[in-house]
Amino acid sequence: MAIKPLTSDRFDFDDATDAIEFYFKKGWTDGLPVVPPTPGKVAGFLNAAGRSPSEILCTEPTKGRVITAEKVAINAVMAGCLPEYFPVVAAAVEAMSEPEFNLHGITASTAGAAVLALVNGPIANELHLNSGVSLFGPGHRANATIGRALRLVIINGSGSVSGEIDKATIGHPGKYTWCIAEAEEVSPWDPLHVERGSPDDHSAVTVFAGLSPIQAAFHESGRPEEILTSFTNALFASGQEQEEVVIVICPEHMGYIRSSGWSKDDVRSFLFESTQRKVADWTGSGAFPGGPPQDPDVLYRVAKRPESFTLLVGGGAAGAFSSIIPLWGGGAGSRSVTKDISVHR
Amino acid sequence: MATATRLQVLDPTVQPIPASAVIAPRPETLDGAVVGLLSNGKRNADVLLGMVHEVLADRFDFKDVMVRDKGNASRPCPTNLLQEMADQCDLVITSSGD
Repeated sequence: MAIKPLTSDRFDFDDATDAIEFYFKKGWTDGLPVVPPTPGKVAGFLNAAGRSPSEILCTEPTKGRVITAEKVAINAVMAGCLPEYFPVVAAAVEAMSEPEFNLHGITASTAGAAVLALVNGPIANELHLNSGVSLFGPGHRANATIGRALRLVIINGSGSVSGEIDKATIGHPGKYTWCIAEAEEVSPWDPLHVERGSPDDHSAVTVFAGLSPIQAAFHESGRPEEILTSFTNALFASGQEQEEVVIVICPEHMGYIRSSGWSKDDVRSFLFESTQRKVADWTGSGAFPGGPPQDPDVLYRVAKRPESFTLLVGGGAAGAFSSIIPLWGGGAGSRSVTKDISVHR
Repeated sequence: MATATRLQVLDPTVQPIPASAVIAPRPETLDGAVVGLLSNGKRNADVLLGMVHEVLADRFDFKDVMVRDKGNASRPCPTNLLQEMADQCDLVITSSGD
């Protein structure tokens, strides 16, 4: 397709090192060096996703920002993406633009949320997105650079610069980059995008406003009841009456749950019933910022309803370590959003 | 002698769209005014608003007071609530607590 001209301001340098230093000086990075975004590379990214430079992918009304595909592509080049990753980045940015995701709130708040991007469907394997060993760790270009591209869009596109708009007290390292695929091949269940209405041969990306993950280790038994009970301490730490909380079940735990024939709903019901306790037992947990309710015997649950548990499968084959990911504002202030990834438009 | 090719790179930033809002006309007096008190929903925002109201009520004779809560501190105020206050109040005072 014929690509329209790029309209961003241009800067000339003698070599890449000078350009990289210029981006540092301008405050246009996440604190790490960037790939210099040349017009040729940016045009290649837009072509790979069939996007016009002027197409609006995100609006952020609080700060009055309108983020075009051209700006997203520039940041994706800077993050180290390959052109074929750009359809995922573009769809994730569109997901972040949905009002229920509350992009301004989650990127300004002292609570310090990161954007966790989950990729489902055939594109995950095509791009070699990691769903396995060291799931949240380094060493996988597609994961590392797609997640980083979203952070650079937040910094440069939406203007949430650390210390200016981004007022996170501590935050967590997922704010540098946090993109995973779901290990659909080790799960007997529908993957998340299918659960949310996409055909299983489609690819989709879901964005979550993820707070720091809590690891749940349990090696003592293969009974689903005991494995899931071992998650409850981490779940109690994640908050009370949450609209949504994410659980990434590792393959070893999943293997036991799978061989016992438990469905997603079975797991959710069990967790829902086993994560309620009296106000008195929540005391000291920090779960009631405005002070605890008067009656110490009233029961409060971790989740509002069984469906509030979003169940994903991922991680390395060895080790019985799952992960609980609380969401910003208990999932009420920011809803996770799923978007189909259109590769050939 | 050929000149070395220079590297051209692009600006990744987005500038905010300038706000088109204008400052509302200042009331001549608050006597007889309907005053709105809009809390952002965080802790102590209502306490602060109550104190401001107390100070003003000592000096002016308000016709009425409309007290509202935005609900979620981290989301924009719902449009229908803003409209209700715009329609019925002569001035609105808002507070941000924590």
